[in-house]
Amino acid sequence: MNPQNAIEVRNMSKQFKIEYDRGNTLKEKLIRRRNKTEYHQVLKNINLDIKKGETVALIGTNGSGKSTLLKLMTKIIFPNEGTIETDGKLTSLLELGAGFHPDFTGRENIYFNASIFGLSRKEIEKRLPDIIAFAELGEFIDNPVRTYSSGMYMRLAFSVAINVDADILLIDEILAVGDQHFQEKCYSKLRQLRDSGKTIVIVTHSLDVVKDMCHRAIWIYKGQVQLDGDPAYVIDEYLKQIAKDNKEEIKKAIESGEQQKQGVVFIDVPKDYMEFYPEDREVECQGWGIANVDDATLHFYVDDEEIHPEVTHRERKDVYEVYFEQYSGFLDVDQLGWRISIPMRSLSKGNHTLRVENHEPDGSVLGEKDVVFIVR
Amino acid sequence: MSTFKEIYNYREMLKSNVKKDIRGKYKGSVLGILWSFLNPLLQVIVYWIIFPYLFRGATIPNYLCYLVTGIIPWNFFTNVVNLGTISIKSNAGIIKKVYFPREVLLISQVLSGLVNFFISCVIIVLFCIGTGAGVSVHILWLPLIALIQAAFSFGIILFLSAFEVYVQDVEYIVSFILNMAFYGTPILYSLELFKSAGTLYRLVSLNPLTKIINAYRDIFLYHVTPDLHSLLIVAILALILILIGYRVFKKLEKGFAEVL
Repeated sequence: MNPQNAIEVRNMSKQFKIEYDRGNTLKEKLIRRRNKTEYHQVLKNINLDIKKGETVALIGTNGSGKSTLLKLMTKIIFPNEGTIETDGKLTSLLELGAGFHPDFTGRENIYFNASIFGLSRKEIEKRLPDIIAFAELGEFIDNPVRTYSSGMYMRLAFSVAINVDADILLIDEILAVGDQHFQEKCYSKLRQLRDSGKTIVIVTHSLDVVKDMCHRAIWIYKGQVQLDGDPAYVIDEYLKQIAKDNKEEIKKAIESGEQQKQGVVFIDVPKDYMEFYPEDREVECQGWGIANVDDATLHFYVDDEEIHPEVTHRERKDVYEVYFEQYSGFLDVDQLGWRISIPMRSLSKGNHTLRVENHEPDGSVLGEKDVVFIVR
Repeated sequence: MSTFKEIYNYREMLKSNVKKDIRGKYKGSVLGILWSFLNPLLQVIVYWIIFPYLFRGATIPNYLCYLVTGIIPWNFFTNVVNLGTISIKSNAGIIKKVYFPREVLLISQVLSGLVNFFISCVIIVLFCIGTGAGVSVHILWLPLIALIQAAFSFGIILFLSAFEVYVQDVEYIVSFILNMAFYGTPILYSLELFKSAGTLYRLVSLNPLTKIINAYRDIFLYHVTPDLHSLLIVAILALILILIGYRVFKKLEKGFAEVL
């Protein structure tokens, strides 16, 4: 092992056995001898070096294998092929409050919990004031843990875990603990650990945290390392892939009839019953439209008669952010907004209706919206 | 060697597990830790009343003390084996989430059994004094005998706890075998009764628990030096069990988190 590395993963593969109705009793084991066993390849041929002092994020969608990789590093489970080596005292924050006993006080449970992480009594006693202060439990520390609220419980558990003082810290999506204030405290503690030269590996879905905290992001995609490097770039590519996958998924869902084709159209201007005067020369209209098909087009009608104005598209970040999850892959942030102008001379005095529709090529309507405006 | 070092690093976990076992077990009950005295005591009283009627041979001198010196070590053994067998399964929560040497769970089970047993020895001594058998310096052998018994139980649960994770019939088979073994060990009766029954006599006298319980009776009741030869055999047996059991345990341990 290279002495600069904290974790070395070499040609590592992991598969899980999937047994349908696994028999746990002797009878079942004897009678149904391996009838339906399938293997699910979770990780394929992973090679990784994590250097000492690095803070690394593992990102990926659910089921991509990132949590499994973390568990393998912890040596809770073992690879089928290849090796994982670690150098230095390692602590995993996979589970908070492991080994808590409800009938004992918070203080006693600190001892139990910390001892599972392999700390000696002396080491625990040294950290006890820090742990108690960090958990913000005050006098409750000497009450039995069963009387705690779930927030207090998690705070205590997190304080123990974060104060264990290992060389390598493995963290699995647990920072969603407690209120805003406590979360911020956790992050600043993590930053402090990072700056003190600990090796930290985080699995998380919150990409802002990755950008903010990590030196490096590793994107696990379908059991393999897809990209490994600067967080900003890796996250960008990751989001692109999510968009692509989402698009394909929606297309499939539409084909199989599980999901409807749909769209949304919105008119920002004019507002309902807005008034215009002949000297305005033009009626300025703008809005935005989205759809979960590729070739949707916008159509404009005034008083049920289609018009063919010149359409200019604009960037709409606000809309993009709102609909990103649902429509990702179909959104081009620079093309979401539209703007047209209707010449005043084509309009008579009185009430008019502007309708905007989102059409498929065959003419079926995905979304529509209308407003009434008045020419004086 | 590295194994010992690793277990030594987790000594605080051992300690707190033992503490949790002993204090946590009776939390919420009015009599608390007294129950670990009361249980064997009540058991002894039941046998003491019933068995003289059933047994023609229950003419053992100082039968009450004879029972106490048999049942309390036996309870030590069954508790460790029963609880040890399920100790990996019942700690699935932490096994799946945290790394630690898994054998710590078994060792702490043996240790809390041992602590409990030493506390219960107070009862044995009280009975020895109360029934007129008295106490002698031979009691100094106690730690050695208890240690051999602990090692023997540890060897057994290394196998059983690992098997239990994969096949959960093990715990039921174990409790059945322990029930049988209770009668296969001279706890209620004296081995002399079987002298005429050739095979049965040999089987019971080969039982390692027979040798251990005889040793306890030697030091508590009869005030003689225990049969060191028999103890040595049990100690060697325990060592072999531990050596093989440890290998088996280490091999099966890799699947624990996935199977549980």
